[in-house]
Amino acid sequence: MEFLSMGGYAQYVWPSYLIVLAAIVLNIVWARRALARAKLDARKRLAMSAPPAGAKGELA
Amino acid sequence: MAWTWFHRLGSPPYIYGLAARLTPWFAWPAAGLIIYALYAGLAVAPADYQQGEGYRIIFLHAPSAWMSVMVYTTMAISAAVGLIWRIKVAHAVAASCATLGATFTFATLVTGSLWGKPMWGTYWAWDPRVTFELLLLFLYLAYMALRSAFDDIQRADRVSAVLAVVGVVNVPIIHYSVIWWNSLHQAPSVMKLGKPTMPPEMYIPMLAMFLGFTLLFGALLFTRLRAEVLNRERTASWIRDVVNA
Repeated sequence: MEFLSMGGYAQYVWPSYLIVLAAIVLNIVWARRALARAKLDARKRLAMSAPPAGAKGELA
Repeated sequence: MAWTWFHRLGSPPYIYGLAARLTPWFAWPAAGLIIYALYAGLAVAPADYQQGEGYRIIFLHAPSAWMSVMVYTTMAISAAVGLIWRIKVAHAVAASCATLGATFTFATLVTGSLWGKPMWGTYWAWDPRVTFELLLLFLYLAYMALRSAFDDIQRADRVSAVLAVVGVVNVPIIHYSVIWWNSLHQAPSVMKLGKPTMPPEMYIPMLAMFLGFTLLFGALLFTRLRAEVLNRERTASWIRDVVNA
């Protein structure tokens, strides 16, 4: 309990830690999502531009 | 011969593969260092003789601030390389930086504000360093807004690169602001030459967090860079192999 009270500074210390950890987690999620999205878009583009013979349904 | 590595770095398939291979080598050490530094900073380092436990905000505030300027500097240098030598991959690096940089600039301002209330007596002061850090946030936001104003990636790259390069003058201003002006903000305790002004129980977690954040930047940059490279390569044949794998 003593640890959590941060010597009376809990209301400043814990929100600080929370916001930076949130920044880290969000950036990991966003970066991975950006890559997944780019792969999906590329797959769609490739399927539209030059569908290889017999490769129907590859889009999924 | 000596320049082949430089040419390879401009090759999108090479960069895509390199970024994919390097990501885990940055991500896992970053996770280890950040978790260690969180523990050591919160539970092992002693209280400050003036600020008590309140000073512990520094273990995230200073590395976030480092992140905000390191990311901007990377963004500006790659934007310049992209403009000068017309290298698409360099523009892709610059574009990969913006969101990350803006988030950590915001986190720097918020943690600084939360630290300022008990120590300076106010959440916000128009102190030189605080003001220029806010300007950095606006630079990131302007860069992102400018990029999204163009449908054509190549044009977005060129126009936003000019802004990134011009804005880089703000980086040394942020760094030297506490020396040039009378400032509420404390002088550097880590990013300086000579002996640190902290005992090792504070200094080591601090260094671990700086290194952890730097490696985290690498891992996130590589992941975003792969996305940016794919978006620029449109229908190049090598893409077929990596997106269907």
